[in-house]
Parts: sequence; C-alpha cells; structure tokens
Amino acid sequence: MPRYVVERTFPDGLHLPSGEAGSNVRATVVARNADEGVTWVHSYVSEDRERTFCVYDAPSPEAIRRTASRNELPVDRITQVSVLDPYHYQ
Amino acid sequence: MARLTIRGGVVVVALDLATGLLERDQALEALNEAFALSRRGTGRMVLVSGDAGIGKSALVREFCSQLPTSARTLVGWCDGLRTPRPLGPLVDIAAEVGGHLEQLILAGESAPVVLDALVDELGSGAQTVVVLEDVHWADGATMDILGLLGRRAEQIGSLVIATYRSDGLAREHPLRIVVGDLATAPGVVRLPLEPLSFKSVAELAASSGIDATDLYTKTDGNPFFVTEVLASGQTDVPDTISDVVLSRVARLGQPARELLDAVAIVPQRTELWLLEAIAGGSLGALDQCLECGMLVATDHAVGFRHELVRQVVEGSVSPLRRVDLHRAALDALRAPPDGRRDFARLAHHAEAANDGPAVLEFATLAAERAAIIGSHREAAAQYARALRYGDLLPILERAELLERRSLECYLTDQHDDAVPCLEKALEYYREVGDARREGLGLSALAIRRWCSSDTTGAVAAAAEAVSILEGCGSSADLAHAYASASSMEMNFENAATALSWGERAMALSTESGDLETFVYQLNTTGTMTSLMGQPEGRDDIERSIALATEAKLDVHVGRGYIHLAWTGSRTRDFTVLGRIADGIEYCSEHGLELWRLYLIAYRARIELDQGLWTEAAESASYVLRQSRQAPLLRILALTVIAVLRARRGDPDVMSPLEESLALAVGKGDLQHQAPVAIARAEMAALAGRADLAVEATETVLAMARERGAAWIVGELVFWRRRAGVNEVCCDGVAEPFAAHLSGEWTRAAVLWDQLGCPYEAALALADSGEDDALRHALVGLRQLGAQPAAAAVGRLLRQRGTRDVPRGPRPSTRANPAGLTARELEVLAMLGEGLRNAEIADRLVLSERTVGHHVSATLRKLQVRSRAEASATAVRLGISPQN
Repeated sequence: MPRYVVERTFPDGLHLPSGEAGSNVRATVVARNADEGVTWVHSYVSEDRERTFCVYDAPSPEAIRRTASRNELPVDRITQVSVLDPYHYQ
Repeated sequence: MARLTIRGGVVVVALDLATGLLERDQALEALNEAFALSRRGTGRMVLVSGDAGIGKSALVREFCSQLPTSARTLVGWCDGLRTPRPLGPLVDIAAEVGGHLEQLILAGESAPVVLDALVDELGSGAQTVVVLEDVHWADGATMDILGLLGRRAEQIGSLVIATYRSDGLAREHPLRIVVGDLATAPGVVRLPLEPLSFKSVAELAASSGIDATDLYTKTDGNPFFVTEVLASGQTDVPDTISDVVLSRVARLGQPARELLDAVAIVPQRTELWLLEAIAGGSLGALDQCLECGMLVATDHAVGFRHELVRQVVEGSVSPLRRVDLHRAALDALRAPPDGRRDFARLAHHAEAANDGPAVLEFATLAAERAAIIGSHREAAAQYARALRYGDLLPILERAELLERRSLECYLTDQHDDAVPCLEKALEYYREVGDARREGLGLSALAIRRWCSSDTTGAVAAAAEAVSILEGCGSSADLAHAYASASSMEMNFENAATALSWGERAMALSTESGDLETFVYQLNTTGTMTSLMGQPEGRDDIERSIALATEAKLDVHVGRGYIHLAWTGSRTRDFTVLGRIADGIEYCSEHGLELWRLYLIAYRARIELDQGLWTEAAESASYVLRQSRQAPLLRILALTVIAVLRARRGDPDVMSPLEESLALAVGKGDLQHQAPVAIARAEMAALAGRADLAVEATETVLAMARERGAAWIVGELVFWRRRAGVNEVCCDGVAEPFAAHLSGEWTRAAVLWDQLGCPYEAALALADSGEDDALRHALVGLRQLGAQPAAAAVGRLLRQRGTRDVPRGPRPSTRANPAGLTARELEVLAMLGEGLRNAEIADRLVLSERTVGHHVSATLRKLQVRSRAEASATAVRLGISPQN
C-alpha cells in the first residue's frame, strides 16, 4: 500500500483536546479511516501549530481526501513517498 | 480490555461477559438496540457475519427467543444447492405469510414485485423481524432484494437480519459487492462475530477432563468445533472437525448411520415426507438421532445441528450409496405432497444421481424459472448444467440451450462465456443448414462480441448476418439484422452507414410489428443523431425508453439510459443527470448491474466537468472497486481519476492513465480511444510537452475529425494548443473551445459558465490576462482545489505586480516569426536573465528535464547553438516576451 505525506494548514492553529475527549477524537478518526482502508501513521506539527505534515498509508489519494473530509481536516497537498533513513546505506 | 463501540455502522464485539451464549452480550445488545429503533419507526438491517461455526444462527435464535410475544419473526434460508433456488428465502417467508406475497411467489414474479409485496407485508400488523440466513448462498434475485432492503432499511421500518459466512468469500463474490455497497447506507449495521477467547474455552472445558490449551489451539476458539468436541465425550481432542463428527457418528448404530446419510444428501433441511421416502427402514432411528442431538427437528423437517456436520457426513457416504440416495430423492421430489415441484432441487439431485434425461428436463425448467424471476446468474448455471448432458440431445435442441445460456451470460456480464457459447450454437446451425437461425444468431453475436471488446469481430458478424438474412429471412429477421448492423456502425460513429441501415430497420420492424427491434433501432438512431449534435436525437432516445418501459423490455430500457448518459456527457448537456439517476434506480431494481455501473461511470465524467470533484472521485472509485472486466467501463473511470489527480496535483497520475491506455489498445472506436487521448493531452499540456501531446492525439484527432465529433476535436485541439502545438484549427470544433482557441477569452468564459464547467471557465479567464479576470480565475481554481493551475495563476498575478509582464502563458503567433510556443517564450525570457535550468525549473514549477527540452527546442527554432546567442537573436528578431 502506498505511503503519503499530507500537508495541512490550520489558520487558527490545530488544538486537539487532551485526556478522554482527545482520545475519543483520535479513535473516531481512526475508525473513519478504517472504513476506507486508510491508516494514519503519525503527524509532524509545526511550532505555531498552523501546519501539519501527516504520514498515511492508503490505497489512493482519493481515499485520503474522502477520509479528510469526513474528519473535517483540510488538505493542501498530497505527495507519495517512500522511506529513507540514515541507516539505509549501512 | 477496552470496549470499542463506534456509531454509524460498525460495532466491534469486545469480550468478557458470560451469559447463556458466551461472549455474545454486546452482539445481543446491538440487535436489541436495532429492534428498539425499528419499533420506533426507524428500520435497521443488521449484517451478522463470521466464520463457519462461529455461532451466527445461534445468536439470531437466542435474540429471537427473547423478543416480546407481540413481535412476529419471519425466517428464510438460502440453500447450499450448487445452483440456488431463485428467491429461495422469500419462498420460505411467503409460505409462512401466505396471502398476496405467496401468490406472487407462486406466479414466479420478479424481485422488484416481490420486494414491494414484502415491504407492504412488513408494514401491516405486528412489529416484524425478518431473518435471512446464509446469504452467501443467495441467488441473484435475492441479492438484489437484500441490496434494496438495505438501502431502504430506515424507511421500511422493520428489523432485517442477514447472516453470512465471511470466510472463503471469493474476491468477485456478488455478496462482497452488495455488502460493500451497503457499508455507507444509513440503516445498516455490521455485526462481525469473533471466536471465543481462551478464558471462555477453558470455562467450557472445565469439567470435561479435556486439556483447555489443546482444545483452544486446535479449535482456534471456534464455538462449533469446541462444542462438538465436548459433546463427543472424548478426553483427547481430534485434529479436525471431520474427525470429531465422524467419531460421534461411528458410535451410533447402523440404522442411525443410514438415516444420517439420507438426511445428509439433502441440502439444509429434509422434510419428513421426503425422509420417509428415501430413508426406508432406517426411519425408526430418528428418535435416537434427535435425542443425541445429531439431528434437530423444525416444523415438518429435520436437519443437522450445523451445516458443517452435514458436509462431513455427506462426504463420508460411499459414492454408490450417494447415487442411490439422490435417485430416491429425485423420485420423491417429482411428486411432492403439495404438488409444487421445485425445479432447482430436482436438477440438483438429478445431477448428483447422474440421471441425464432428468437433468435435461429439470435444469432447463429451473433455468427458465430463474430467468423470469431475474436470477440470471442462476439461469446461466442451470443451462450449463443441462449442457453437460447435451450429447443426449439432438443438435438443434443443443444449439437452443447454448443460445439461451449465451443470453444469460451476456446479461450477467460473463462475456467470455457468452461469446463461445453462441459461436458453438452457430456452428450447429451451419452444420444443419439452418441459414435463418444462423443469421439471427450472428446479429446477436455482433453485440456480444462488442461487449467483450472484440470490436472488429462484432462488425464482421453484423455484416455477415445481413448478407445471410437478405437471402432467406423474413422482414422481421432482416429488421433485426439491420438493427444490429446499424448499432455496430453507431458504436463506431459512422453516421451515414448507421442511419441508412437504421432506416431500413425501422421500416421493416414497423411493417412486421416487431416492437423490440423498433425500440432498439429508435434508440440507435436517436443516439447517432445526438452524437452528431442534433438535440432532437434525445427525443428519440426518450421515446425508446418510454416504449421499452411500458413493454417491460428491461435490457432496452437500460440501454436507453446509457445512451442518454453517453451523449449527454459527450456534449456536456448536464440536464441528463436527472435521467441518469432514474436509470440507476431502474437498473438496481431490475438486476442490470453492469448497466448501472456504466451510468455511474458517465456520471463521474459529468461530475468532473461540473467541478464536483469529490463526487467525481467517489463515483469513479466506486466503479473501479467492482472487479468488472468490461474495458470501456474501466477506461471511463480510470481517465476521470487520472485527470482529477493531475488537476488537484495529487500523486500517481500515471498508473490509471497507463492502464486505460493498455485497455484501449486495438479498439478502433472513439468511445474507447477518445477519453484516453484527451486525458493524455491534458497531461502533456500541464507539462508543456508538445511532442507528447502530438503522439497521444494524432490518430484520435484524425478519427474524430472524420466522424464529425466536434466536442472531441475541440477538447483535443484545446489541450494540444496549451501543450504548445501550434496549428490552425477551428472548424468542426465545439463552440466554447472554438471561442477560447480564437482568443475570445471572455466569451469563452461566459459560455463555459453557462454550461456549468467551472474549470474551463477559470482557464479562459486566466488566459485573458486581465487582472480582474485573473483574480476571479484564482478564486475559482482554489475553490475547485485545482492546486497546480491556481499556483500558476497566482505566480502570474505576482509577476504582474512587480514587472510589466504581458499576457500570460499562451501562444501568440503574431510577433513570433520563429514559431516559439508561449512556454518557450517564457523560458527564453529567463535565459535572457542568465538563469540556469534548475532555477528556471523552480520558477515555472517544471522538472529540470522538461526545461531542458524547452531550451533545446528554443535553440533549434532560433537556429543558434548557445543560450547567449539565443537571447541576442531574440532581441535582434524583435521576439521578446516584452512585446
């Protein structure tokens, strides 16, 4: 399954609630993604919380956009990626 | 362990609460909740799934036993016959309910009619729960009903429970499609059942002396397996279910074993009267079998506790005895006490008994019945069964069966089988010298070959049909042949030939009073004239649909809707959307699955053109998920996805494009070729590659020009121009494209707006070069999510803010004697500033390789060898972007 980086912009900053509320939100996102075969791997968030770079495994860019809209998340750009790390060449 | 309860469709059963049925508390809760909702008027469908032996039926039985006495339960079973009884479970329910529903079933009415009666029945009187067991065995018509019940679950207001085995469902199993479809339906709840945990298995095994770990490992927590082992009373655990069951059976006496054999060869349940007929003396052992639990009794019938047990016992019966038993069953079923013969069951036992004449008789009858009801897949399978004994038939009758099988295969999209069957039948007709049948068969073959994408073979068959029937056929036959030939020509968009064959077909079919051929030809003629740009064509198609609907010619109605969709999407007449929706509903209700998918594919294209890109992605992805082989269907959907991705700037534009290109190979018609060429031309335009654009479109453009397909010519020339191909065009080009190409950008934008095509309208505004228009275009493109195009316009606006850069990236030949394209002019300007390729690539958001291409092309056209020379030459010739 391809891996994608999804860039998002949150003009008001992304603020996830903490504790149980936050965990419920995360669980809902995960469940909705599962319906489409999309897996949220993890995300990087900028310091000002206005930009995120989210790593996903998904069957297609359309599946990502579909789950993004169900989860009410913006999508700026989707790029297909493969993993590269310093240990690759050892 | 945490409990996960998720609203809106999936309830995952967590563990750890013991009741009568272990670990099914949450499942029961879910069912009770669904029932409560249905009582308040919001219906639900619950899909209970899991491996064989997981306890689906046990769960449903437990739930039903807890229902209030005022509630009514209606149960129907899908049987495990190799070819199931059409509407099997509905037959069971109708027998229970009687009245109007039963009458309809006995009369052999089709699925939509039966469904309406069922819904009426559910709405009247007591709160009802409907249970459909083992729907993985359901026939086509029952699947249709299941799908419709699911989609309308909320409105119907009752609780419908469907159980199915989820293990061993092949990828193309029709149930997967139905369940997938229902995944997003509002009233549908999925209830997958999990195996038992080690704790529960240990609990069960506690007093039996059996090692719990061994038991759990061998059974994997499968409830059926576990209980069978425990019931067998042994202390060591056999390796397989088979071993367990057989060891239990072995401990019963001979008469009991014989009785079990007799029950085992009848799928699902064996009626008592039937058992009496086939079990003979061993019937006396019935009590013993019931007492020890091997058999269970329901009203007037007995069966094994579980299908798995039946399968094991059946497998252990010796072949000779099996044939004897099947023969006895066959004889008994020929004269059932209620006088109603079930042809599917008779055919099943006949084949198992290897009774050729009986198979021929009953499989044919079963096929005919299935076809009428709308279970075409089952009809095709029954004809195939009969044909296995085809040698017993005279040639002509064999040919007849082959023709019928071919038709049923065609209706269920099994084109790879439909064509050879019909070809074989034609061979027989030739052998016997029946020219008329051969001719008629050839006309049908033409259409079937076209559907399996043998487009050349299709045309050949149609032509041969005409020539044969002109020699010997009646007016009706000839009308048929002309209509088929006309249809082939229409598919290739050869207007003159299509219409001339068509006229003859219309005249002859009117003369002979053949409504079906008339309706077919009316559709073809209307479609051809629509494609030529004449709006009256649509009236003909509509009239054809109306006539066909009234005469209940399902397939022709479907074809009518598809042609409306095709011509509407081709000419960007979005008013057809309403009709497409009507068509989708019609096709759903009449089991015309492939037709429905075509309508969705055309809708995807229209949604793309309307700027409804989320919907377009949804529609196209849905079509691609159904694992259908029809190339045209996939081409339509793949090209929409490719263009969507390119316009949004999403990754992987190439895979769908390459796949569609491969599918179009060898198909010489515009339907297959044009979408691919257009998509590739747009890609080439985005990359600024004139060479790629030419390569992708040269042949198709010539074809489209020859056929007078103005919209296709327009779209191809448009993208070619944007890719940098400088050509004079403009006649035979559809209006909004023509306006844009001749530089009337504002008018083009207005025309596109009127048609409802926001992307093209924005491109036209952007090309006009005026600030206001550019700003509008930017807003529009951003709203669509057209990231690359929006970025280009944004850059343009920024440039205009800081430099006096004239009208944007489009070709202008006037002050351009060297024939440089707009892209090349842009690149030239940057060369003049001394930028390197990498920097130019950054500025223009292109790849470095593409920039390299442009630089070489520029140097070539200016006939110089270095970048510095290029700049100098440009200034000298008066070519400069500054103009």
